[in-house]
Amino acid sequence: MATEVYRESFERRTKTVRYIRILEGLADTQFGPVYLGMWGAFALFSYLMCVFITAIGYGEQVGYNPIRFLREFAVLTLYPPSSASGLQMAPLQQGGYWQLATLFLVLTLVFWTIRIWTRAVANGLRPMVPVAFSAALFLFAAIYVIHPIWVGSWNEAPGHGIRAVLLWTNHFSVKYGNFYYNPFHMLSIFGLLGSTVILAMHGGTILATLSYGSHRELDEIEDSDEGTHRAQLLWRWVMGFNATAFSIHQWALGFATLVAVAGAIGVLASGPVEPNWFVWGCRADITPGLQAACPTP
Amino acid sequence: MSTDNMSAADGAIAQYDEKQRSIMRGEVAGLVAGAILALGGVIALTLMLADRRAFEGYRAESQYNYAGVQRVSYTDYLASQGRKVVQPSAEAITAYNAWQAANPKTVNVNVLNKYLGDKYTDTAAVFGYMSSYFTPGVGVSCEYCHNLENFSSDEKPTKATARAMLVMQFELQNKWIETIPRPEGQVVYQLKCASCHNGQPKFWNNALIVSASDPKNFGKAAGVFGGGNPTSYDLKNIGVTLNGQTPPFYSFVDDEYLAARADADGSVNFFQVTADKDTPPGLNATYRNQNAMYHQNSALGVGCDFCHYGGYFASYVLEDGTFKWPKSQARHMQGMVQDIAINWFPQMPNLVDTAQPNCYMCHRGNVVPPGDYDDPERPAQVADPEIKPLVDLPVLKPILPEQ
Repeated sequence: MATEVYRESFERRTKTVRYIRILEGLADTQFGPVYLGMWGAFALFSYLMCVFITAIGYGEQVGYNPIRFLREFAVLTLYPPSSASGLQMAPLQQGGYWQLATLFLVLTLVFWTIRIWTRAVANGLRPMVPVAFSAALFLFAAIYVIHPIWVGSWNEAPGHGIRAVLLWTNHFSVKYGNFYYNPFHMLSIFGLLGSTVILAMHGGTILATLSYGSHRELDEIEDSDEGTHRAQLLWRWVMGFNATAFSIHQWALGFATLVAVAGAIGVLASGPVEPNWFVWGCRADITPGLQAACPTP
Repeated sequence: MSTDNMSAADGAIAQYDEKQRSIMRGEVAGLVAGAILALGGVIALTLMLADRRAFEGYRAESQYNYAGVQRVSYTDYLASQGRKVVQPSAEAITAYNAWQAANPKTVNVNVLNKYLGDKYTDTAAVFGYMSSYFTPGVGVSCEYCHNLENFSSDEKPTKATARAMLVMQFELQNKWIETIPRPEGQVVYQLKCASCHNGQPKFWNNALIVSASDPKNFGKAAGVFGGGNPTSYDLKNIGVTLNGQTPPFYSFVDDEYLAARADADGSVNFFQVTADKDTPPGLNATYRNQNAMYHQNSALGVGCDFCHYGGYFASYVLEDGTFKWPKSQARHMQGMVQDIAINWFPQMPNLVDTAQPNCYMCHRGNVVPPGDYDDPERPAQVADPEIKPLVDLPVLKPILPEQ
């Protein structure tokens, strides 16, 4: 059954799809059709507003000189309001641009999530893609909105800019002791590395068993065949157990969402729950080698 | 399902399979090509950086290795910039010989003899000191400060400045350099004119200015070569001020730093480093701290772990208990820079209003300032110096290894 459904879908698609051969070597790419819709229009409008506000803020810094804009793009930054401003609205050039740009960026991501959700439902799918995207959105919201509101200062959020995000990553870690000792950061990195290796294992396994048809995933999920059996045998030989053609996708989704959710909890806990993660590491005695550098209680 | 349908389905699947194999071959070729390009790019970028750093005299061996730090000689430092050590002019030597013949004992010498002893009541000894340290250090001949007809005259304003600077040099040596926390056996160098002037009468002590509008500084402003030095826009937005104004660049002397005072325990926190439960929210203080640290990276030509334990910057010891003397010394030197900014520069005659001391002023990218001397002749403590500090800034309580 699955084979027949798949075949029909494939035959139907191949009648209208045009392959752009220049991209064929990278992926089985297909362009269009794009569905805009109400939520797409909202997302696009919010995004353009965010870009416009950011461009105005950047433009003021370079005197609206396009050459300077391009040359200094990597260091141009919209800063959040200063520490003293707390959560108040700030004048445009003292954090107001950042507040407006962040507001529209948040709206963009919310509208985009709703858009994916409505498109998934319209396509007869379970909303797993917007659910996965929501994990990333949660991390974004934790960094830019929830944590600053919790501690009472927009200044805790990153600026908008290439260097600004890199600096924030460093400075947030320095302020809170050392983020590497944050257990939620550890868990997030575990998820990051885990999802990376799972994606590599899965992709490699499917490509390796191409000759045995394991890439026909719908058929294989419903009724596994030689390719899947050989792939599963490989992993049993290598590490003693195997996922199925279906459960490997649950593993991947779980690890990927773990990255963002654990990371978000780690950010939220920094300050209100634990102001110094290195000191927490000392208290938790997570490695005896640290003790010489631990502050005296 | 009929046989015809079966074969049609098999044909479609075979066609699909072949297409997937074709794609996979393309992907593999693309991956290999991409990997080669990426590797080539990394190698090319590394070579470019290495070439630029070699061009800039970047000393890789001192970046992270405390044990490998070597002092750069003053002569070599000047040579690296295409300059030579300056000597008194022939005209000045002729004039000095005539002056010394007429005045074998000094006239109107008030500072050298006070700090270095009666030896400097001889004109020849004073000339020896002047031609050894003043002329090479400041990069000018005697006539820059002296009337060659009358060496004792105070008519030139540069002489008044030089005399005040000499008092400052000796007072700083006694108060800060001699008291620097150090491991047993480490050399204590002597401040001389060259320590700050480096062979230039008017020296640009703020060479770490990074203006993003200057094309030459783009790499530094972006943090590619200079460790992320802040732009004036950054300073405005993180609230750094000097004399109430946003400074055009940042080298850690700001209003907050100048206002910091040691508590009863002799401790002072010039820069907020890590948070505790009472730390107010916001990252501005951390930005300020980090920019001050970047200045010190660039000024001494070292990485963070020259002073810090990378696992916890606030710690004075590594995870194995090794004491990080450079961190303790850097803290001590921050006290000295504050002293210079508050007590000495404001009292120097004819000094540019905006002049501010910083680490680069003396270190010039080296752990040991190239203008320092390993001179056994040490200044005495003087009870009544000609210039007295404006504000009482006690020496910080040193951070020392626990016994």
